[in-house]
Amino acid sequence: MKKSKFFWLLSLMLVLSVFLAACGEDKNGTEPATPGDTDKDEPTAGEVKDEEQVLNLIMSAEIPSMDSALATDAVGFDLLNNVNEGLYRLNQENVAVPAIAEGEPTVSEDGLVYTFKIRDAKWSNGDAVTAGDFEFAWKRAMNPDTASEYGPYMMGGVIKNATAISEGKAKYTELGVKAVDEKTLEVTLEKPVPYFLSLMSFGTYLPQNEAFVTEKGKDYATNSDNLISNGPFTLADWDGTGLKWKLVKNDQYWDAETVKLTEINYDVVKEVPTAVNLYKTGEKDRVGLSGEYAMQYANDPDLVKELETTVFYFKFNQERNGKPTPLANVNIREAISKGYNKQDLVDVVLANGSVPANYLVPAAFTFDESGADFRDVNGDMAVPNADEAKAAWEKGLKELGVKEITLEILGGDSDVAKKMDEYFKSQLETTLPGLTIELKEVPFAVRLDLDSAQDYDIQSAGWGPDFQDPYTFMNLWLTDGGNNKMSYSNPKYDELVNASVGKLAMDPEARWEAMAEAEKILLEEDYAIAPNYQRGTMQLQKPYVKGVISHPFGGDYSYKWAFIEGKDAQ
Amino acid sequence: MAKYILKRVFYMFITLFLIATATFFLMKTLPGSPISSASKLNPTQLAAVEAKYGLDQPIPVQYGKYMANLAQGDLGNSYQFKGASVTDLILKRLGPSFLLGAQGLILGISIGILLGMIAALRQNTIWDYGSTFIAILGISIPSFVFASFLQYWIAVKWGVLPVALWNDGWKSSILPSIALAMGPLATGARFIRTEMIEVLSSDYITLAKSKGATGFEVAFKHAFRNALIPLVTVMGPLAAGLLTGSLVIEKIFAIPGIGEQFVKAIMVSDFSIIMGTTLFFSVFLVFVILLVDILYGIIDPRIRLSGGNS
Amino acid sequence: MTQNLEKLPADSFKRITIDSSQAEKISKPSLSFWQDAWLRIRKNKAAIVSMVILLLILIMALIGPYIGPHDAETQTITHSNLPPKVPGFEKLGILDGIGTLGGTEVDLYEMKKVDTYYWFGTDGLGRDMFARLWEGTQISLFIAFVAAAIDVLIGVLYGGISGYYGGRVDDIMQRIVEILYGIPNLVVVILMSLVMKPGITAIIIAITLTGWIGMSRIVRGQVLKYKNQEFVLAARTLGASNNRIIGKHLLPNILGVIIINTMFTIPGAIFFEAFLSFIGLGLQAPAASLGTLINDGYQLMQFQPHILLFPALVLSMLMIAFNLLGDGLRDALDPKMKD
Repeated sequence: MKKSKFFWLLSLMLVLSVFLAACGEDKNGTEPATPGDTDKDEPTAGEVKDEEQVLNLIMSAEIPSMDSALATDAVGFDLLNNVNEGLYRLNQENVAVPAIAEGEPTVSEDGLVYTFKIRDAKWSNGDAVTAGDFEFAWKRAMNPDTASEYGPYMMGGVIKNATAISEGKAKYTELGVKAVDEKTLEVTLEKPVPYFLSLMSFGTYLPQNEAFVTEKGKDYATNSDNLISNGPFTLADWDGTGLKWKLVKNDQYWDAETVKLTEINYDVVKEVPTAVNLYKTGEKDRVGLSGEYAMQYANDPDLVKELETTVFYFKFNQERNGKPTPLANVNIREAISKGYNKQDLVDVVLANGSVPANYLVPAAFTFDESGADFRDVNGDMAVPNADEAKAAWEKGLKELGVKEITLEILGGDSDVAKKMDEYFKSQLETTLPGLTIELKEVPFAVRLDLDSAQDYDIQSAGWGPDFQDPYTFMNLWLTDGGNNKMSYSNPKYDELVNASVGKLAMDPEARWEAMAEAEKILLEEDYAIAPNYQRGTMQLQKPYVKGVISHPFGGDYSYKWAFIEGKDAQ
Repeated sequence: MAKYILKRVFYMFITLFLIATATFFLMKTLPGSPISSASKLNPTQLAAVEAKYGLDQPIPVQYGKYMANLAQGDLGNSYQFKGASVTDLILKRLGPSFLLGAQGLILGISIGILLGMIAALRQNTIWDYGSTFIAILGISIPSFVFASFLQYWIAVKWGVLPVALWNDGWKSSILPSIALAMGPLATGARFIRTEMIEVLSSDYITLAKSKGATGFEVAFKHAFRNALIPLVTVMGPLAAGLLTGSLVIEKIFAIPGIGEQFVKAIMVSDFSIIMGTTLFFSVFLVFVILLVDILYGIIDPRIRLSGGNS
Repeated sequence: MTQNLEKLPADSFKRITIDSSQAEKISKPSLSFWQDAWLRIRKNKAAIVSMVILLLILIMALIGPYIGPHDAETQTITHSNLPPKVPGFEKLGILDGIGTLGGTEVDLYEMKKVDTYYWFGTDGLGRDMFARLWEGTQISLFIAFVAAAIDVLIGVLYGGISGYYGGRVDDIMQRIVEILYGIPNLVVVILMSLVMKPGITAIIIAITLTGWIGMSRIVRGQVLKYKNQEFVLAARTLGASNNRIIGKHLLPNILGVIIINTMFTIPGAIFFEAFLSFIGLGLQAPAASLGTLINDGYQLMQFQPHILLFPALVLSMLMIAFNLLGDGLRDALDPKMKD
C-alpha cells in the first residue's frame, strides 16, 4: 500500500513538472508576440477625463485593405469612413453634409461641373489636405496599374471619361477631376447625376496624400505605419492581416473637438457564441446577434434593433446554358413569388429584426424633398398569397405542358442561409404541387462565379446600396446590365430607369415616378425577381455606449460622435 | 544512417513537389473567383484586374512562375489582403499556432501517459475503467463542442480565464491548449496502456520481479521506459491531428493562427493562401514523419535503419 | 533419493498400454476462428455492452425516423425551438417541455399552444428532432461504413499485392505510399470537398482518398510476416496455387488485424464528417448528419441544449462503442494476446 501511494505521488509530480516546464518555456515565448500589451493602458492613464473614453468592439472579418482605391468590402469601408474624410460625410441624421468641402459646391447650369472649396484641414502627419489630394486619389483609382475594382465601378458613368478609361479608350489622367488650386476642386461629370453629392461620402472618393502615397510606393496602406488619415481617428497596431487593431483619436482632425473617444479597440471574432461570451464578460461593448441568439435576447434591455438598407431577393434565371428555363414563364415566376410566407421567414427563421419585403427599394432609405419615403409611392407589391400562387402555377404548368418541375435554389453556405433555403424548399413544395426544389449551398465567391456564368435556376441574393438613390437598386436589371445575369429584358423598364438618370435627371419628382413605375413592372408585371426581406440587425450594446451612428450605405458606423457615459457607475 | 536520411529527404521533396503541383491545378479547377467584386465590373475592367494578378496568362505559364517563386520561398500574394505576401502572412501566424500545438501536445501526452500507466498497472480494476473512460471521452466529443463547453464554463461562468482572443499573453493560450490536448491525451493513454500491459507480461519483467525489484522499480525502471519508446511512432498521426484541431480551436477562440487563416481563405477563395497553407502543412507533416523515423532509430537500438532495401 | 524410490510400493504404479490411435485425438472440441473469437470476446464485458449499444443505434437509425409521431422533413413553423416533452415523464419534472426564453423558464408548449409531444424537441424550423436525429445517424453511419469498406478494399488489395509479390513491385508501390503518406489528409479532404459537388459522395471520396494508406501498410506488414512462415512454405511445397495460399492461409491470419483496424476507421470517418460540418464543408441542407446536427446545436448550447445534447450523445456513444469493441476485438483476435 505504501508503495502504491508513493507511486501515485511520483507520477503526479512527473506530470506536473512536465506541464509546468512547458508552461514556463512558453511564457517566455509569447512575450515578443504581444508587444502592445505593456503600453495598453498608457494613453488613457494620463488623461484627466471624467471617464475613460474607450470603446471595445468586435469585427466579423479582417481588414482586406485600407487603401481607399482597393477597398471593396464592409469592414474596409467602415474603417475608412472613420479614419478618413471626403468632401462630404453622412451626419447624425444620415444626410450627406459638407465635410472637407467648405460649404455647398457651385454647380454649373447644365449640372455637369461641380466646384468644391476645400476647408483648412490636416492629415495626421501635419500636411494640409488639398484639392490635389482628391485629384490624385481619384485618378489613382482609375489607373489600370492600381487594379482598383471599385474605382471603375463607382466612377464609371459618373465622372467624365471614367467609362472610357476603364475600357482603355482614354488615359486615366483624362479623368474629369482637376485641382484648380490648392483650395479649389473642379469635378466634371459624364452626365447630370442627381445623387452625385451622396457619392462624395463614399470610400472610393476619399482623398489620398500624394507625397505620402508616392513615398511608400507599394507598401502604402499595408499596415498602420504606412497610412495617414484626415478623419476623426487614426489606425494603429494593425499589421496588415491581423485579427486586431485600434483606432486612436486624431488630434490633427479639423473637427477634433467633437470627437470624444480616445481609443477604439477591435478584435476579429467570427463565431457568434464566442462573441456573445465576450460581451457577457464585459470585454466587448457591442455584439451582433443572429437567429436563435436574437430570439433569446429579444427582451434584453441592451438590445438595439436596426433596419439596414440591404434587400434580399430571388433572382429568377430565365435562360440557363442557352436554353430557356421554366422560369421564363411569367406565371411560374408569379407562383413562386407569391408562394411562401415572408412573415414567418423573418419572425421564425431569421428572427433578427428583418422585415418582409414586398418591394425592391428598401424602406427608410431614400426620401424626397418633403421627407416622404420612396416606399410611400408604390407600397407593397406581389404580396404572398397561396391561392393566387396556386392559380398562377396551374396556368404556368399548362402553358409549359408539364406536370412537374424541378428547380434549383442557389444560396449561401452560412448557417442562416442554409436554414432559410430549407424553409423556402418546404414552403414552396407545399404550396405548389409538382414542384421539387433542389438546394445548392456554396461559398460567396462560388455563388458570384455561378451568377456570372448564369448557371442556376433561382438564386437567393441580396444588394446593399452604394449611394443614396433608388437608382442603385433599379439599375441592376437593365437589359445586359452587369448584375442582370438572368436574361431579364423589358424595353419599357429600361426606358424608365434610363430616363431617371437621363432626360429626367434634373426633375426629382418625375424621376421618382419613373423609378416607381419601373419597380412595379419589375415586381408586379414581370415578376422578374421576388423580394424576400429587408435585413435588420440585432445587437447587444452596453448602455454606457452613446452616440454611435449607423449608416444606410458606405461605412456601417460612425464613431465621430460616440462617447462613454456611466460605465464607472456600473 | 546518412544515406538513409538523404534518401528520405529526397522523397520528401518529391512529395512536396507533387503536392504543390496537385494543389496548383486543383485551385485552377475550383469554382469561384478570388476577385471579390468581379460581378460589378464589365469585362474590360475585369480583364485589367486579372492582368494585375497574372491570371490572364496561360495556366502552364502561371504554373511555371509559381514553381519558380516557390523554389525561392515566395508563396505569392494574397487576394483577400491586397498586396500582402503569403509567406509573411504564414510566418506572422506561426507563433500562436505553434505555441498552442506544443502546449496541447505536451499536456495531452503527459496526462495520457499517466492515465495509461494507471490503467495498465491496475488492469481490470475501477482505475483501469476510469482512465480508459476519460481517454475515450477525449476522442468521442467533437473538439468544437468541448471547446465551447470550456469557454462557457471556465471563462464565462467562473470567469477565471480569458473567453477568447490573444490579448492576455500566456493566459489566453490555456483554454485552447486544453481543448487541443484531448486528442493526444486519448491516443497517449490507450497506446501506453496496451504497451505497458505487453511489457509487464514479458520475461524480463518477471525476471526483475523475481530478483526482488519493487513494484515502483518495475513500473518505472523497466516497464515504463520500454513502453514509452513506441509512443514515438504515433507522433506523426498526432501532429496531423493537431493540424485538424487547430482549424477548429483557433476559430472558436479567435486565435490569430494559421488554421484560422486557412478556414477563412477557403471561404473567400483566396487561392494563394489556400495553396501556401497547404504546402506549409505538408512540409510540417513530412518533416515530423521524417524526424519520428530518425528519432525512433536512435532511441530503439533494436530497430536498425536500412537503406530501404528490406 | 534413488533408495527412496525403490521403497515405493509397486502397486502404486499401473502399466498402461499406448494406443497410437489416441495420440491424434483432440480432447477439446475443435473451434473455428469465429468460435474462438466469440469465446474470447464474450469474456470482455465492455465489448459486449458496446456491441449491444451499436446494434441498438443501428436499429434506431433504420426504424427511428418512422416510429415517432412526426417525420423528419415537415416544418411546422409555429412549433419551432421546442424543448423535449415525453408523455409520462412530464410529471417527473424532466422532459416536460419547459425551456428557457430570454433567461426565464417557461412552458414553451403552453406558450406556443402545442398539444402534441416532441420527444427530443424541435429545431429552429419546427422539425422533429427525434426523427431528424435518427435520420442523421443513418447518414453518418452510411458515410462511415461505405468509407471504411472502400478503405478496406483498396488497402487490402494494395498492401496485399505489395507484400505478397515483394521485390520490385513492392519497392515501387511502397515509394508511392511513402509519397502519399506525407500529404496531410485533412488538406486533401478539404480540397476535394471544394472541387467536387458537395454531398455524401464528395465526403466519402474525400475521406477514402488517403484513408486506405494506413490499412495498406498494416496488411503489407502482416503479409510479409506470414508469407515466409513454415505453414505457407508447406502449402507451397504441396503445390498450392497463389490463390489458395492467399485465400486459405494468409487471409484468415490477417483477417483479425483487418477487422480491428476497420473498427477504428469507422468512428474516425464519423468524426471527420462532423469536423467537415463545422468548417462549413459538410452535407447540403436539408440532409442531416450527426455532424450537421451537432454543428447546428453547439451554437445554441446555452439556450436550447436539447438540439446539441441528443446528437452529441449518439455520436459519443458510437465513438465509445466502436473504440471499446475495437479494443475487445484486438484482445480477442490478436494471437499475441492468446492465453
